[in-house]
Amino acid sequence: MTAAHQDAAVIDAAAATLAALSGLSRSLRHVALVTDDGFEVVRRPDTAPSDGRLASMASSIQALTDAVAYELQLGTAKSVIIASDSGHIIQLRVPGRELVLVALFDENETVGMALSMLRVAAERLAAALDTTTVQAVA
Amino acid sequence: MSEHVVLFAGPMGAGKTTAIQSLSEVPVVLTEAANSDRVTADKPTTTVALDYGVITLGGDEQVRLYGIPGQRRFNFMWSLLKRRATGMVLLVHNDAPRPFESMLEYLEEFGDLYRKGGIVVGVTRSDVSARPLLPDYSEVLHEVHPDKTIPVFAVDPRDSRSVGMALMVLVANLEMRAAFARDVEAVPV
Repeated sequence: MTAAHQDAAVIDAAAATLAALSGLSRSLRHVALVTDDGFEVVRRPDTAPSDGRLASMASSIQALTDAVAYELQLGTAKSVIIASDSGHIIQLRVPGRELVLVALFDENETVGMALSMLRVAAERLAAALDTTTVQAVA
Repeated sequence: MSEHVVLFAGPMGAGKTTAIQSLSEVPVVLTEAANSDRVTADKPTTTVALDYGVITLGGDEQVRLYGIPGQRRFNFMWSLLKRRATGMVLLVHNDAPRPFESMLEYLEEFGDLYRKGGIVVGVTRSDVSARPLLPDYSEVLHEVHPDKTIPVFAVDPRDSRSVGMALMVLVANLEMRAAFARDVEAVPV
C-alpha cells in the first residue's frame, strides 16, 4: 500500500481541502497535512522549501497528546491547541485516517473559530478520501 | 534512593522500544505511529516522540528509561531528551546496511552524554546477521574514539536479562563517576 505522503489521490484531495481552508481566513498563516509518523503530505503556502520540521513536531505532539489522554483514561484526544502571544497552533486528526491536520493562525482569529474551521476541513477531507480508492484505517 | 535518566538511542529498527518494554517494571508510555517508511525498517509502527519506562536496580537505584525516535527528522526530541539524560544505551542492529557508520553518527550526536555519565553500545539482531563481530565494533570505536572507553555488548532487546546487563554496566559507571565527583568535591583545598 502506498504511503499517504506518496499517494497521488491523498495529495490531490488534501491540496483541494487546504486550498478551500486557506480561502476562509486571512489569519491562517500556515496549514499542513502530515502523516502520523511525521511526513508532510501537503502544505500551504508551499512557496518556500520545507525542512519537514513542522510535520515532525506535529507528529510528536499528536502522539504525546494521545499518550497523555490514554494514560489519564480520557479517551481519544480530539485536538491540540497551543496558544501563544502572536497566534495559535491547532491540530487534529483526520477522522478515520492516520493523518493530522495542523494549522497556524495569527492572533486576529479566535481559537474557537479556528478550531471550527479546521474541524470542518478535517471532516471534508475524510469524506473526500472515502470517495477515492484510498483505503481507510481498519 | 539514587536516580538516573538513561536514553535508549539508535537507528530505526534497532530495538529501542522493545528493550524498554523488556526492562520496565511499569507499563511503558509509548508514542507509536503507523510507519510510512517500510523501506528503512519493515515494521508496522515507529516511535515518533518517546518511550518511557522505569526500572529499579539493586533495590534503591531507580532508572528512568527514555527511548528516542530513530529518525533524524525527530532530532528536536533528541535535543529535549538529551538534556535530562546522564547516560545512554546505544543500540545498533547488526543487519543494518552500515552499522559502524550508524553507531558513529549517534555517538557524534550524543557524545556529550559520555562526558555526563557514560555510554554503552548494544549490538542487536546478531541472530539475523552474524557479522560484523563484536570485536569489530570495539576496534572501530578505539580507532575513532581512542580517548573513550565504551563497552560493547551483544544484546537481545526481547530478553530483559540481556539488555539488563548492558544497563547495569552503564549504571555502575554512572555511580562510579558520581562517587568520584563527590570525592573530588570533598577534598579540602
